[in-house]
Order: sequence, then C-alpha cells, then structure tokens
Amino acid sequence: MSSPHASPRPGLPALRRLFSPGLLFALPFLVLFAVFMVWPLGQGLWMSLTDRALSAHAPSFIGLDNFTEAFRDAEMWRALGHTVWFTVLSTVPLVVVALGMALLVHTGLPGQWVWRLAFFAPYLLPVGVVGLLWIWLYQPDLGLYNHLLDALGLTQYAWLSDESVAMWAIALTTLWWTVGFNFLLYLAALQSVPDHLYEAAAIDGAGAWRRLWSITLPQLSRITVVITVLQVLASLKVFDQVYLMTKGGPNNSTRPVVEYVYDVGFTGYRLGYASAISYIFFALVVLASAAQFFALRRREK
Amino acid sequence: MTGTPASVGRPALTRRRALTAALGAGAAVLGAGALSGCGSALAAGDSTVRLWDLFSGADGGLLNDMVREARPDMPGTRIERTVLEWGTPYYTKLAMASAGGRGPDVAIAHMSRLAGYAPTGLVDPWDLDLLAEFGVRKSDFADAVWSRTQYEGRTYAIPLDTHPFIVFFHPEPVKKAGLLTKDGTLDADAFSSPDTFLAAGRELAKASGKQGIAFGYATDTAQGWRLFYGLYRQTGGAFTLPAGGPAEVDVDRMAEVIAFMAKLVDGRTNPKRLDYAAGLASFTNGQTAMILSGEWELGTFRAADKNVGAAPMPTVFGTPAVYADSHSFVLPHREHPDEDHRRRTHQAIAALLKAGQIWATAGHIPAYEPITRTPEYAALLPQEHYKSAADHVVLDPAVWFAGAGSDFQNAMSQVLQQALLDGLAPDRAARAMVRRLNTFLAKPSPA
Amino acid sequence: MTSTETPVRTSSAPRRAVPVRPFGRPPRPARTRTNLTLGAGRTTRVLALTVLAIGAVVWLLPMAWAVLTALKSDQDASDPLHWLWPEHGFTLKAFSTVWERGDLPLWMLNSFLIAAAVTVVTVLVSAMAGYAFSRTLFAGRRWLFVLTVAAVLVPPQILIVPWFQQMLTLHLLDTYAAVILPQTVAPVMVFILKKHFDSLPRELEEAARIDGAGHWRIFWSVLLPLSRPMLAAVAIFVFIGAWNNFLWPFVSTSDPSLMTLPVGITSVKDAYGVQYAQSMASAVLAALPLVVVFMFFQRHIVKSVATTGLGGQ
Repeated sequence: MSSPHASPRPGLPALRRLFSPGLLFALPFLVLFAVFMVWPLGQGLWMSLTDRALSAHAPSFIGLDNFTEAFRDAEMWRALGHTVWFTVLSTVPLVVVALGMALLVHTGLPGQWVWRLAFFAPYLLPVGVVGLLWIWLYQPDLGLYNHLLDALGLTQYAWLSDESVAMWAIALTTLWWTVGFNFLLYLAALQSVPDHLYEAAAIDGAGAWRRLWSITLPQLSRITVVITVLQVLASLKVFDQVYLMTKGGPNNSTRPVVEYVYDVGFTGYRLGYASAISYIFFALVVLASAAQFFALRRREK
Repeated sequence: MTGTPASVGRPALTRRRALTAALGAGAAVLGAGALSGCGSALAAGDSTVRLWDLFSGADGGLLNDMVREARPDMPGTRIERTVLEWGTPYYTKLAMASAGGRGPDVAIAHMSRLAGYAPTGLVDPWDLDLLAEFGVRKSDFADAVWSRTQYEGRTYAIPLDTHPFIVFFHPEPVKKAGLLTKDGTLDADAFSSPDTFLAAGRELAKASGKQGIAFGYATDTAQGWRLFYGLYRQTGGAFTLPAGGPAEVDVDRMAEVIAFMAKLVDGRTNPKRLDYAAGLASFTNGQTAMILSGEWELGTFRAADKNVGAAPMPTVFGTPAVYADSHSFVLPHREHPDEDHRRRTHQAIAALLKAGQIWATAGHIPAYEPITRTPEYAALLPQEHYKSAADHVVLDPAVWFAGAGSDFQNAMSQVLQQALLDGLAPDRAARAMVRRLNTFLAKPSPA
Repeated sequence: MTSTETPVRTSSAPRRAVPVRPFGRPPRPARTRTNLTLGAGRTTRVLALTVLAIGAVVWLLPMAWAVLTALKSDQDASDPLHWLWPEHGFTLKAFSTVWERGDLPLWMLNSFLIAAAVTVVTVLVSAMAGYAFSRTLFAGRRWLFVLTVAAVLVPPQILIVPWFQQMLTLHLLDTYAAVILPQTVAPVMVFILKKHFDSLPRELEEAARIDGAGHWRIFWSVLLPLSRPMLAAVAIFVFIGAWNNFLWPFVSTSDPSLMTLPVGITSVKDAYGVQYAQSMASAVLAALPLVVVFMFFQRHIVKSVATTGLGGQ
C-alpha cells in the first residue's frame, strides 16, 4: 500500500488511507461479503475440481473430471431442461396475469383493499405453507380441485403424480403464490401514468379500450420488460415448491437443476460434483442475464 | 379474512413503532449471543436420548408404545423421537446431520444403507460389551442379518427387525381358486414357476370375480426394484458390483424376470397401471384377491379384512430368496462422544429391542430372536406364516449408492416401469438397467 | 447473497430501476380514476368488477379451503363424500393438537429471531456500506462497488454447497449463526441504499460538518433519520425474505429445535401419520403472522415491495 517513492513519513498516510473512515464504514459489509460470498465462490470453484464427499474421506484434486462427467450426464441435461421449461411455463402467466390484475385494480373500482389482499397475500406465505396447502388441494381423492372438477363433470387429474401434468400443476401453484409481487410492481407503475394523458383522450372521445391500447399499455412497456427480466431470473432458480410438492418426481420429470445439485451433493454425498453443476447452472444464469441486458440496451437505443 | 385498513391514518407512528419493535427484537437476539452458536439443542437434558426415525402412521404409533414399554428397562432415561419424512429426505438429513457432528444420539436406518454410512464415517460403531451388559448379544440375531451390520470387524448397526416383501391374500377367493393348503396357508407349489404363477393369477381373477394379483408400482421410487431384485436372486444369477464397474450380472436372467413381471401386470387378469396407493386400495376393497407387498402394510390390510392371509414371496425361479430390508439402529457420528451418554443410549436401545413384541404386531419380524421364540409371537397370525421368509432374505447389494430411499432404487424402478407400463422390451430393459448400474459404479465412492 | 433476494420465491432479484411513486400521494376519490380509465360507461364497469370479483374468489379459494379443512375433524377432512361441509360439525381440535405438540410455536420463534437478526444486521451493514460508497473516498472504493454490483448476479442457490462446506469447517452447522450469517450479505440492498444516499441533498450534512460532526454523527443523526421511509422499505423486504427463506435454512439445520417455520412444518412428520386437518391447521397458523401484519401494514408493505422489489435501478 505504501508508495515506493519514500515520502518523509511513509507509514502514516498509508495507514490513514488504509483506515480511512470510508473504509471503516464499508468494513462490516466487506467482511461479510468476503467471508460469505467471495470465499464460498472460490471454495465452490475449488471443490468442483476435487472429489470432495460428504464424509470423512480426504478430497483429492481431479482436474476437470467433474465437468467432463457433467457434460455427459443425461440427468443433468434433463434437469436443466426442466428448469428452462418451468421458466417458460411460469414467466408468461406471471407477467400476463399480473398485468391483467393490476389493470383491473387500477381502475379504482370499489374494494381496493380486498383486491390487493386477495392477489398479494399468497406472496406472503412461506413456501412450506404453500407446499402443504397445494399438496392438499391437488390430493387426487380428497383435494378441492378434483372435487370441483368432478362437480362440473370434468376429468379429474392425478395432479402431482402424472408426468404430463405435474409441471403444469407446479407452474399453476407458482402463479398463485408469486403473481402478487409482479402485480404490485405493475400497480406502482400504473400510478405514475400521468392523468393528463387520459384527460386528453377523454376529450378526444376515446373509449375505455382505446385508452387501454393507446395510453396505458404503451406507458407500461418499459416496466413489462423489467418485470419479465426479473421473472425469468427468478424462475430459473426454482427449487422450493418443486422439492416440497413432488421431490422432483414423478420419475424425476419435474426435477429442476437446483434440486439436482441438492440431490447429487447431499443425497448422493458428492459435494465436488454438485459444485461443478452449480457452476454450470451459474453460467446459465449469467448467460440469461447477459442476453437480457443486451436486449434491453438495444431497446433503449 | 376480515379486517380494516388500519393504520392508514397515522402511518408514521405505526411505522416507527414497528421498526422499534424489530430493532429491539434484533438487539435482544444479538445480545443473547445467538450468533455465537450456542443455540443448539445439544444441551437437551442429559437424561434424554434423541432418536430420529422415519415411522409415521401405524408404525409410528407402535414405536411410541415400545418406548413406553421399554421405560422400566432404562430407568431415568427419556427417549425423544423426531419423525422425519420417509425415504430420500430422511437419509439426506441424516447424512448431513452426521457430517455436521450434531446429529441425534441414535437413529433408525435401513440396513441396506449401511454400505454408504459406515465406510464414510457418518456413523460410529456400537460397543458390543456395553450392549451385552444390558442383555443383548450377537447370538441373539440371525447370522444373515447380523453379517450385514459389520464393517472392518466392527458393528455399525443393531437390527430392530427384518421386513420382507411378501404376498398377502384374502383367504376366501384363494380357497375358492383351490390355492390354499389344508392348514390354511398358501399353496406355494401353485406359484413355483412363472407359468404356474400366472395361471394362479387367472384362477384368482376368476375366483374373485374381478382381478387376480395386485402390484402397485407406477411412479413409485422402489416397488419395481423390490419385486425385481427378489425374483432375480431366485434365478441364482450373479449380481456382483465391483468398485468402478462394470457390473457382473446375467442379462438373460434379468430379462426373464422382467418379462415375467410385465406379464404379471398385463391389465387383463391383473390390473396394469397401479401406483402404490391404488395397489393398496385395489386389494383392500376386494378388487383383487392377492397383493405383492411389503409386510409393513399388514395393519392397513387387516383393517380391511381381519382374516387376511400372508406367505413369504413364492419361489418362482428355483432358488428361495425373499427381498427384504432391516430397520436398524445406528449411532450418528460424534467427534467427541460423551461416554455416559453413549452408555445411556446403548441401554435405551437394548430396552427397545426387548419390547419387540409390540413391533411384531405391525407385521415386522423382530430381529432380536428371543422375541420370535416366544409363544406370544407364535400366536400372531399371519406373522407366524411368513416368519420363515427371514431365512432367505436378500438385501440390496452392499454398495454405497444402493439401499432404501436411494437414487439407485429410483433409477432401477424407472427402467422397470418403462418395461411394465410402456412396453419396453425385457432384454432392452435389462440392458438399460445394466447401463444405469455401470453409471453408478463409475461414480467415485465417497468412502 | 440472501434473503433480500427472496431466494425462495420465483419473484425477486431486483435489477433495474423505474421511476416509481407508489401509493405515495393521497388517494383520490375512486370515481375520478375510474372515469379516467374506464370511462363513464356502466357496462364496462360491471364487467370489470365481475372479472375482478371472480379473480379474487379464485385467488382466495385455496386459503379458504385450508381454513375450512383445519376446522374439521380428521375424520371429516378425509371423507370424500362430505368433502365440502363436515358431517360432524366444526372443531378447533386440529389447532389445539398442533399447537400443543410444541414444535410450531418454537419454529415461529426461531423464524422470528432469525428474520429479525438478519434484518437488523443487513439493514445496518448495508446502510453503512451504502454511506461509504456514496459519501466517502477510500482506496479501492470504485472497484469494490463494481464488485458489489456484480455480486447481485450470483444466485444464492449456487452457494448452498460451499456454504455447507464452510459451516462444516467452522463447526457451525445446526446453529443460529449458520442460518443467519450467509443471509446478511445483500449486495442489492447496498446498491439501493447507495443510490438512495446519492439522492439526498448534501446541504444538511455540510451544515453538520461545519458544526464539527464526524462521519458517524452525520450518518447516524443526519442521514439515517432522513432515510426512515427507505430504511423501513428495505427492512420490510429483508424481513419478509428471511421469514420465508427455505433452501438455506433447510440445508443448514437438521436439528428440529433449530428449524424455521417453513422448514419445520415440511420436514418433521407426525408419528401417527398424515392428518389433513392438522396439516392445514399448522399451515394456517404458520401463515397467520405475516398475513395479519399485512392487514395492518398493507400500505407500507406494498410500498416496500414497489420500491425495493426493482432493486432501485
């Protein structure tokens, strides 16, 4: 830190710069950041190059073996595929339904408090509650949804144990649970649409639909992009509700890549291999972020 | 969901109050030194033995009864149970807790899991001298089961029971089909080859007026493997799994067994697409006359039919072999175990073993033989009828990745399911199984 | 990274800012806005209200079903014939059973203590760092800030394995510390608070500086009081995230007495098997704290999500 061109008292300014008040303020965060972010990132990378196991056995360095294995691991690709599929399946309704809800609530119809509670409250439920609740709702013989389908004379589903239905069921649960978050973001954005635009439109005699298409939606285009980006990144990280509702089943048909990391590392004792897959997943997230970043930049130009 | 939009009038005040409360609580936590990591429940009274298990439902209730029954044999000791979700989640948690060194004092584990636990140092060995002091000795257990508790000359598991995969039947239709012997047990000869077994299924379907033999396996993570492996071992085919691979198995015989299984769930005489719960239901509601099932469902079946009969899995392929597993007690690893507490734990486990008669009512065969030798046990029906299954038990291969609730069983069951449900040819299914096996073998062992 | 990011959820990960003025202004008479957006037509209004009502019913139905089930006896809860209305009337037995078992109150307490600790540490540490990045100069400031912003990209899910290994090495598995500490690293919150401090006028602190106040006095007595709404928004967001966080608490605790609410109610089973009335009773009790808090603090929570949810871009 001290300058090589020895100043008269080299120690003091260096020391002062080292312990400048700014650094002291940042220090608590930087320490936590270093210990619980930088270190684990480094350690994860290191572990991915070893055969570390969940046991007393001493790990040894195995180079890129974990990565070569992973690239040939059909189950990993399958899990990555499920993650991407879930992202598609959940992002679209999570944006569209949130927008619809926000547009309707923003009209200022009576009962504002109730609407907000109804749509946002599920977001406040811990995932453990969501899991228990939806397992029960989806229960094939006793659950609410099959009773309702039956009452309407429709086909019942083995919601969580039919391979062709399970992922949709999970996406539906996710929609119910988290749409309130996007709904609030939209609602906040809607409130910043200036009233005078509507007033001008009213004077021009534009009807409700015209106002929606030519004023509201264009004003929301930016926030829609932002919400979609956030949603894609969030959906890629899915684990909790899948793990709790299906454990990735039936026949691993809903297992996302984060669960694969958990299964390989903790259930299969192979922490090293799990670290390698974590990094492959990280690469996917970075890639998705970069793609969206550039898409956004181009849009803004 | 009622309420009023409270606090709208004075937001500043409520917000400040909430913040103050949160800050106060946080400060209290920090002050209490929670961050120093002293929040663990390890401090739970010295007289408490913490036991983890995976028994929920009828078994869970019975274990509570056993704990009560065992009390006089462990004066001053209290057993505190924690029941975790059966299967993979349980073993994952147990491994993680053991690795962290703050696991429970003792835990239930399937014997088939020991190959992944003992060599990896996740569990500690039992002290046989100490157990002998409390009246439990090696000679009290069947050799077939005991041999699986050993690793490098030490005993890592104390078996509680053997729980074989057997057949249950409703006596009436079975009698009508002429498949019952004079003393009321199942006529095993009528099931002694694939063809006679299938023929018996047709007779049973006729007798029940509906369908013959139920087997619930669809989307199940173990059932397919349980039936397959028991039957395969009956063929006498090799199943050797050297570290690193490749597996030494008899693909033709595997295909033979798979072909038999596929015919067994053909959907004509026997139902085809049953998952585990539907399998149970089809037997309890009398849709089928017989079911291939673990003995642990005895309670469920007896509730539906108090005369329900049982027999060891018939020998279909020549050599007697019955797929089974064994619930056993293990000591999760501790860096510095407390001598007195370990002693207390040994005493508590000895006491529980001696209360095994209660466990037997659930259908399990107690591993502690002084129990199975009693007249009380002999009076238990149909348990007495399948006790002999314990003589020919085969457990999962002793490799680190196999065992109850393992990914391995799941993987094997998935391939079998493709053969049973989706028409994958038996020989191709067998080869697919071998490929999956070799993938597992190629993985580095954590030991 | 952490809680704030609500790693649990599928909605989160703040990134980009939008000018947001959520719910800040005094509510205007509802008619005005309805006129502006829907026009004066009666049909549109009735239609919109109907759709809204149906949506709300569909959204509330699962919770109503949970409450209904929890109020039944176990026998009625698993009776496929009388699935809607219980044959033997309503009872609070399921609630008293799960409460008396004792785990649930303990897990609630754990959740509260852990979320409170995470919130206090995160808010304080992030505010200090935000201040440092906004108002001070020190060696490596720019570089460290860029690093912090880049770290927003790191999904906590990929750190699960190394965190576990780290806690194993530190002999901290199955302690509160293990659950709390990794959740307190919140680069996003540092970023949000830095931008927030940037937006505050400097005149006040300059006056304070002339009076001889040091950095700490300026931070603590001038900027923090000015930032109360922002800090509240951040705190609420962090608290909700930590309260609901699942994956890391699930991985870092095996001892049932240390589990948080979401982990405990899903990991620990009843010795007597699944009883749906009891399962729903625990779900309802576990959901209650935040839902009740939401009813009373709706305005603040909504505002917190709207300001913090986008990560202050």
